[in-house]
Amino acid sequence: MSKSGQPSLTRRGFLKTSTVVAVGAAAGFGGLSVPLLKKDRLLLRPPGALDEDLFLASCIKCGQCLQVCPPQVIRLADIWQGFGIGTPYIVPREGGCILCSGLPCVLACPTGALDHHLSLGKDAEMGLAVLSSPDTCLAGKGVNDLVHRLEQLRRDDQAGMDMAELQDIVTGCAARLSPEEKQVWQDHFSLPEISEQTLPELVARFKPEDIDWLGEFLASSSLAKTSCRVCLDTCPIREEQPIVFTPHREGGPGAFLPSVQKTCVGCGVCEEKCPTALPSITIVPRLKWSENGTTRQEEDGAA
Amino acid sequence: MKNQSTQTAARPTTGVRSYKGAGLRSRNTPQPGHRKNKWRIIRWTVLLSIQLLFFASFYIDVQILEGTLSGSRLLGFHLIDPLAALQLILASKIIMVNLIIGVVTIFIIYLIFGGRSFCSWICPYHWLAELGEMVHMKLKKKKIVKNHVLDRNIRYYFYVIFLALAWITGYTVFETINPVSIISRSVVYGPSWMLLWVAVLLLFEIVYSRRGWCRYFCPVGVSYQLIGLLAPLRIKWDREKCSNCKRCQSVCLVPHVLNDCVNTGKAGYVDSSLCTRCGRCVDVCDDEALGFSFKYLDKII
Repeated sequence: MSKSGQPSLTRRGFLKTSTVVAVGAAAGFGGLSVPLLKKDRLLLRPPGALDEDLFLASCIKCGQCLQVCPPQVIRLADIWQGFGIGTPYIVPREGGCILCSGLPCVLACPTGALDHHLSLGKDAEMGLAVLSSPDTCLAGKGVNDLVHRLEQLRRDDQAGMDMAELQDIVTGCAARLSPEEKQVWQDHFSLPEISEQTLPELVARFKPEDIDWLGEFLASSSLAKTSCRVCLDTCPIREEQPIVFTPHREGGPGAFLPSVQKTCVGCGVCEEKCPTALPSITIVPRLKWSENGTTRQEEDGAA
Repeated sequence: MKNQSTQTAARPTTGVRSYKGAGLRSRNTPQPGHRKNKWRIIRWTVLLSIQLLFFASFYIDVQILEGTLSGSRLLGFHLIDPLAALQLILASKIIMVNLIIGVVTIFIIYLIFGGRSFCSWICPYHWLAELGEMVHMKLKKKKIVKNHVLDRNIRYYFYVIFLALAWITGYTVFETINPVSIISRSVVYGPSWMLLWVAVLLLFEIVYSRRGWCRYFCPVGVSYQLIGLLAPLRIKWDREKCSNCKRCQSVCLVPHVLNDCVNTGKAGYVDSSLCTRCGRCVDVCDDEALGFSFKYLDKII
């Protein structure tokens, strides 16, 4: 490495120049890119995440939260997520946080970027759900979610039946049957009873031809008169009443609109499970409930 | 001034040869039984096994070594990269207990085995760079590329700059471009587009400057170097066996650290904290004049 035979003055000059260039580039990179990139939109962080600026400062990007996440919904930001490459985030539509008991992601965090003071899922402050599209909300139209999904499935039939979705609908139906309706199903599928234990057998016996029968059954059943409540039913903290359904006159009889309450933590399961093509209820990350009962965006200061 | 002196000292023509066999090349037949790639094979096995343990922790839930090289758990004990930890503390202005525990554990390990042992025995970028170096040497032989020597002190400037940036911006700026954590994350959680940046660094090393990132830039290496200032595990040099062929310096990541042994004969150990204990010099020395040893401790044992 030292036998190149260049005059030492040129080499010294070269070394000096290269040093200045390298050092300047490094300083410039950090000094300019940080404020610019920070203006990006907010991502939904795992429960317990500190305020965004402090979170970015204290996340070590080790991914241990992701490793312990039972539903595997945490992912790491890449260059497309804007600022904070390697930091954990959640895409609620593809899988919301189920607020597992013990919050393993918080316990796994070695730096406290996910605050260890948080021990209960109901105390998390990830953001808030908002009814972003009341017009498409099934509850607001008085439509049952299973009826809607079955319609949707039969409409898309040409492209080949989505068996997973069909099985999911059948499972959903079976869980909500009244005792008399259970009798009807027992007779149709020649099963001794409709319960958790016989569910796999039921799904196995359900042929795609049965779809018309199911459609007729649903149309005449009590389920058809019950409007969608998926967002509340799937909410991991539904005991806290984070969503309240209020009658919606424009939607006709049996129509209700979900209204998000103070207890919502923004876990994102409602957005994941919302049966409309685009979610009618969505999560606004970092949104907080203010004192006067409305929502407000958290102030975005580098304080 | 410091820079200038290290540059001149790197010239193998200077120095006093006051020891037996110096420059005579008296024994250029290899010692019988000398194994050319012994330490490289051991080291690569360790290095790749570590990456495999990280990989297995997530894919098949083998809970031995979980996380990535920025922050991990070895059988449940926190390990934290000291540079990342320092950046976090400066950026958040908070001192976190787990962080300190993790760094102290790292300190204890590398205090014994030599700070920059991390570089050659653990760091996945080092492994890629070694492969890149082989390509560089081949191309250099064919006179397709030329090696450009840069200022070794850039590493220290980078260390200070990125720590300052963490304090000023409130963000761990270096972690965005840190090839070590980028590769480590990609190994465990699947490839990231930031690997393109790693590819750029490797290309730079192949076509422009031999082992450029590790030699001149990497502040991660600086942080481990500081931990290992007094580490007893060192390369021992036996002046009686040395035929002064300088092959050790031709393969070394930091060739000037061998000056005090093979060039001037003043020291019996490679005492510089820059030494990564990679053992390449031990491998290529077929006089078997170099070897791993614990300074201070080997007399007791």
